[in-house]
Amino acid sequence: MIAQEAQYRDWMLAALMGDATAYRMLLSGLTRHLRSYFARRLDSGAAEDAVQETLIAIHARRATYDPSLPFTAWVYGIARYKLIDEFRRAKRRPTVSLEDAGELFGHDETQEAIARRDVTKLLDKLPAAKRALVKDIKLDGGSVAEAAQRTGMSESAVKVSVHRAIKSLSEELKGEELKQQGHGDADR
Amino acid sequence: MRTDDLIAQLSSGLEPVKRGAVGRLLLGAAVLGMLGSVALMLSLIGLRHDFARAIVSFGMWTKLVYTFVIAGLGFWLVERMGRPGAEMTRPLQLLAIPLLAILLMSVLQMNAPSADMPRLVLGHSSRVCAFLVTMTALPTLAATFWALRKLAPTQLTVAGAGAGLFAGAVGAFVYSFHCTEGAAPFIAIWYTLGIVAVTALGALLGPRVLRW
Repeated sequence: MIAQEAQYRDWMLAALMGDATAYRMLLSGLTRHLRSYFARRLDSGAAEDAVQETLIAIHARRATYDPSLPFTAWVYGIARYKLIDEFRRAKRRPTVSLEDAGELFGHDETQEAIARRDVTKLLDKLPAAKRALVKDIKLDGGSVAEAAQRTGMSESAVKVSVHRAIKSLSEELKGEELKQQGHGDADR
Repeated sequence: MRTDDLIAQLSSGLEPVKRGAVGRLLLGAAVLGMLGSVALMLSLIGLRHDFARAIVSFGMWTKLVYTFVIAGLGFWLVERMGRPGAEMTRPLQLLAIPLLAILLMSVLQMNAPSADMPRLVLGHSSRVCAFLVTMTALPTLAATFWALRKLAPTQLTVAGAGAGLFAGAVGAFVYSFHCTEGAAPFIAIWYTLGIVAVTALGALLGPRVLRW
């Protein structure tokens, strides 16, 4: 089974009951898969259009999802239909083989997911206040001034705090690498 | 529009979806389509003249049960075809049951000692039967296509054929109330041919009509 199935299905079921937050997370999550799926099959302008078309189709036809069936297969069916539709519009008719949903959900996402999980795990080792600052500024691209305003700290204090947090994280990372190298040496 | 904005827009004001929404949509369309088929049959060819007597006859019930079972399986197929990723092997396999049953009845009737072959096989309306079944089915076919377009069929030829099978069987069911034939071989050949014709018509129209 596809790794994201359970999470996406939960979000979808919540969305069908009217949970807009779950729905937004679902659509954002799916967008990443759809981007990479269409980018490998269409040129860039058409790919982003196809992503949006698919999101709209998912939205307009969400009632056709049967909770007793895999959610990822449902999404894949729609994405594949939109891809064929795009080919048809472009007057090309290459065949799209009947792959399965793994084609949409399998690609490169694992590496990305592992990286994301590692970063989250690492961040969890920081105290909450510092973690929020690092996340705002380093990951989400917020400005130092905004963070300073929100936390009531001075801008320089924010900078120092972030700097120290990153430094302690990098020491943490070095420690992990050493540990891993230890394992690696044993293999070699 | 940026994709992030699109997502925000789609998820703001999200309406819950009622359970069984797909089934209700299809059922509503089926009832409307069937009413259309009944109106067409009554206005163009009319109820059979001996209806009161015929409604208790074996031949009448053979037609009604045969076509009703196929219509039920056709409905099930259409419901599956409107959902991406859904399997449809089960209703397809079950289609063998009415087909085998009508074949068996045909063999039995044709092997009876007093079997009158021309009456059993050709009756008096074999030339028009399949055509009239097709005509009677058209309102139901239109209604089924209308509903299916609101769902998400991904294989349009197959989905069109499924809609045609359902509409053809409903058409044959409604046509039963006009037709005075009741022999199993007649039903097995000409009613089935009518249903197959509507199925083919649906398959032909599917890719043009069902696009979304």
